[in-house]
Amino acid sequence: MAFMKMAAAALVPVLCTLAFHFAEKKTPFQKLSDKKKQLVIGISFAALAILATQFGIPVNGAVMNVRNAAPLTAGLVFGWPAGILSGLIGGIERWFSPSGDYTRLACSISTIISGFLGAAVRRFMMDNKKVSWFYGLVVGVTSEVLHMLMVIFTNAADMQRAFHVVQSIAIPMIAANGLSVMLSMLVTSRSESSGAGQTKKAENISQTFQRWLLACVLLAFVATSIFIHGFQTRLSAQAADIELETNITDVKNDIHDASERLLLDITRQIKRELPTEVTQADVCRLAEKFAAAEISVVGPNGKVSSSSDPSLLGFDVASNERRAEFLLLLNDEQELVQEYSGGLEEPSAERKYAGIALSSGFLLVGHDLSYVRMQVDAQIKYMARNRHIGQNGSIIICDQDGAVVSGRADHAEEYIPIFDSAKSLGVQEGASFSAEIYGEESYVMYTKTEGYYIIGVLPKKEAHFARDASVYMQAFMEVLVFAVMFAFIFVLVNKLVVENVRRVNASLAQINSGNLDIKVEVRGSEEFASLSDDINATVSTLKHYITEAAARIDKELEFAKRIQHSALPSVFPPYPNRKEFSIYASMDTAAEVGGDFYDFYLLGEDKLAFLVADVSGNGVPAAMFMMRAKTLIKSFAESGMDIGEVFVQTNKNLCEGNDAGMFVTAWMGILDLNTGIVSYANAGHNPPAICRSGGEYEYLKTKANFVLAGMNGIQYRKNELQLRPGDAIFLYTDGVTEAQDPGKHFFGTARLLESLNVARGKAAEDICGNVLADVSAFAGESDQFDDITVLSVKFNGKAQPSTLRLVPDMNAIGQTADFLERELQALDAPVKVSRKMKIALDEIYSNIVKYSGADRVEIQCGAENGVLMLRFRDNGIPYDPLEAEMPDISLPVQERDVGGVGIFMVRRMMDGMEYMYKDGCNILTLTLSLQEEA
Amino acid sequence: MTIEKNLNGKTLEIKLSGYLDSGTAPDLEAVLSETLAGLQSLVLDLEELEYVSSAGLRVILNAQKEMSAQGQMKLIHVNETIMEVFDITGFVDILTIE
Repeated sequence: MAFMKMAAAALVPVLCTLAFHFAEKKTPFQKLSDKKKQLVIGISFAALAILATQFGIPVNGAVMNVRNAAPLTAGLVFGWPAGILSGLIGGIERWFSPSGDYTRLACSISTIISGFLGAAVRRFMMDNKKVSWFYGLVVGVTSEVLHMLMVIFTNAADMQRAFHVVQSIAIPMIAANGLSVMLSMLVTSRSESSGAGQTKKAENISQTFQRWLLACVLLAFVATSIFIHGFQTRLSAQAADIELETNITDVKNDIHDASERLLLDITRQIKRELPTEVTQADVCRLAEKFAAAEISVVGPNGKVSSSSDPSLLGFDVASNERRAEFLLLLNDEQELVQEYSGGLEEPSAERKYAGIALSSGFLLVGHDLSYVRMQVDAQIKYMARNRHIGQNGSIIICDQDGAVVSGRADHAEEYIPIFDSAKSLGVQEGASFSAEIYGEESYVMYTKTEGYYIIGVLPKKEAHFARDASVYMQAFMEVLVFAVMFAFIFVLVNKLVVENVRRVNASLAQINSGNLDIKVEVRGSEEFASLSDDINATVSTLKHYITEAAARIDKELEFAKRIQHSALPSVFPPYPNRKEFSIYASMDTAAEVGGDFYDFYLLGEDKLAFLVADVSGNGVPAAMFMMRAKTLIKSFAESGMDIGEVFVQTNKNLCEGNDAGMFVTAWMGILDLNTGIVSYANAGHNPPAICRSGGEYEYLKTKANFVLAGMNGIQYRKNELQLRPGDAIFLYTDGVTEAQDPGKHFFGTARLLESLNVARGKAAEDICGNVLADVSAFAGESDQFDDITVLSVKFNGKAQPSTLRLVPDMNAIGQTADFLERELQALDAPVKVSRKMKIALDEIYSNIVKYSGADRVEIQCGAENGVLMLRFRDNGIPYDPLEAEMPDISLPVQERDVGGVGIFMVRRMMDGMEYMYKDGCNILTLTLSLQEEA
Repeated sequence: MTIEKNLNGKTLEIKLSGYLDSGTAPDLEAVLSETLAGLQSLVLDLEELEYVSSAGLRVILNAQKEMSAQGQMKLIHVNETIMEVFDITGFVDILTIE
């Protein structure tokens, strides 16, 4: 019943812990501030402590309870303030509680200490974290051991009682409190770890250390306890032996003395009544009167002169060894009592003799044992009555049959059954043995005298008190000492090893994350200093190699970058003679080599292909893939395919052997320089911005097709748009729109449009420059994440040749020459080219004036594709100068004529000469490359 | 075109500048027809002359024909374009060019 109550009491703090643990997680309680939580928990657990006091189980004047578990649990599980608070309240309440006066001080103090202990363990040993069940058990046990010691020390005046109290309550209270705290730890850690896949963490050093230390200490603890127990048992048994022996010897002497005194008394009376002249009749009469077995008078010569036993008359005393002792009475000795011995005539009869010296000779009186006993019994009946051995031990005097003659007043037994067993066990007189006497296991020793058995009894409980006390005290002290030792080892290991290892690890973590400049500086002990030095040396060697390798890679990447960039057209303006368009592009790689690229080239004389593309990823693989894509696109474009087909074929080729799974987004357009029509295709690329008819830039939103190299068999749509002179297209990669400022904001498409519109109408180079400057200003200090590539094309339209119309007349020749001069200057034509053109003009115009009969002529001059063009249109008679007869240029000077030489010269000097007759007009077109011949 | 004449006895040196085409050839022709008679030597300095068209060639050819009969004629400081014209037309064969 007491056990059940104890168990129930121990479970209450566990349930309360579980309740608060749950409340902290799932109920509005969790919203309280920390201070309030601690207050509520502290008061609740104080209430538990008070309840434990009130419902304690009285044992031997003390109260058995589970009070200390509450403040301990509060401190260990919920926090040090709750622990201290509940400990203080519980302890103070205990002081004023009416129950268990005997342990009032001890309980009160130990409850307060429990609160502080739980708080201290959590705060200083566990880093303010909840402790494991193992520590819970240890702390619970330690606190209760402290409690027990307090009980003993506060009642030091009566050690024995204090010890008895402790002995009866110690084990259940230590067990209940320890288990209660342990269970509280266990239920909270269980409910925490359930559900989430619990990974078994490796033990830390101090835990391992403690575990092994605990094993060793436990072993030592058990061994010393066994040793001390055995040693103390021997000691107390020996002490008991001595005590028993002393006591029974005393009693034996007392009995001996009593019987001696009795015999002497009788003998003295006989002597008084003995007449001077002793006769046989006197002796017999006296023997009868005093119930003596024998009365003999021995003469000075040592011979029996008269005796109640006539056969002894004349017996020489000296002839009997025992009787010879009495011869001393002939000398100085006055009285002598002899031990029992057989009578002379009846050797088997136990007889006791006393002798008194007479004026001459001596008187010898012998009594039978039975008589003596009868007389002595009355005397020793009370002898053992008030005797004690130790506190509770006793003396029992029995006769030869085991009947009690004298025993303790409080025990009325008349027969001691062990007596038989002791006899049958063959226990020697004077040797101690164990037996149950008066219902108590005791040490027993006996001795025999005068026909009595004197039995000494010492209860083992009493004999062993010192032993038990010392074993308990030792156990308590060891628990305390080891608890303190554990705490110290924990702190020491933490300070000397764990803390240093943590610092080394912290440094290593930084090194791992790439900071090779970190130095490990843990110099708390020689070992750690040496470890730090080794790590530092390793890191610095590593750093050296990395730096070297990085430098080598940098160099190679720099080469790769140069190769990559040199694959892109990078001379601007690329076509100085082409006035129909202007183009500018730029690529700025984030990595040493990037995945972006741009490209443009003329397809024939009147088509401009231009594109911007972005290969997934960057670095060397992307750059290699980019080179492949660029080459494929160019070769397909130059083969004359339409733009859709170029992408289809490129995609097909890139898909082959694309194990790395790379892909390319691309936007490519082909501008017809004559018509301004752009045919384009988009493979998953950002929409370009387009500026039309002097308006603002806007995005060209057409549905994109899938990326290149993403999947085989994709069809790419060919789209068209019409550009007017002055219109412009701007292509870019996502490195522009996704450039980030230090606040991680994107540059974005809106900002790009703004930036484009600021530079609207300017040259292609200025437009690109403005966008790049804006992106750079936006990004500020932040790193460039992606390649930034831009391309701008401006369509100027086909240059319309200038025209001069006039009536053919020789006088207007200067007018035509001026016209040509103006045009040539505008076209910045080289001198030699100009001269040739001027000659041609002179020849053809003068021909028309002289021979055509035309009344209208139109002269056009212009340049396209780097070719100077001069066209004549007249309404004269049809004349094809290409069919004119060649002059003979080998005649001697006198036969020479210059007729026909003019046309001939023109034909020889011009690169091209075309004639047609159309709508009643001769149309002659001369062309000459603007490039000066080498 | 400007024509600078420099007569030194029977030697006439004419310096031409500008261009010699159908517009200017008659001017040179007029100058020559006045001065060629009785000349032993004619030097045409073409340093400042840009180009020559077939009209100019005709004047030069006529001058050459006339001078061949009574003395000699030479052209100096001929530029590339004019030289090319002379080349094309085979005039290099009949002219003395220094």
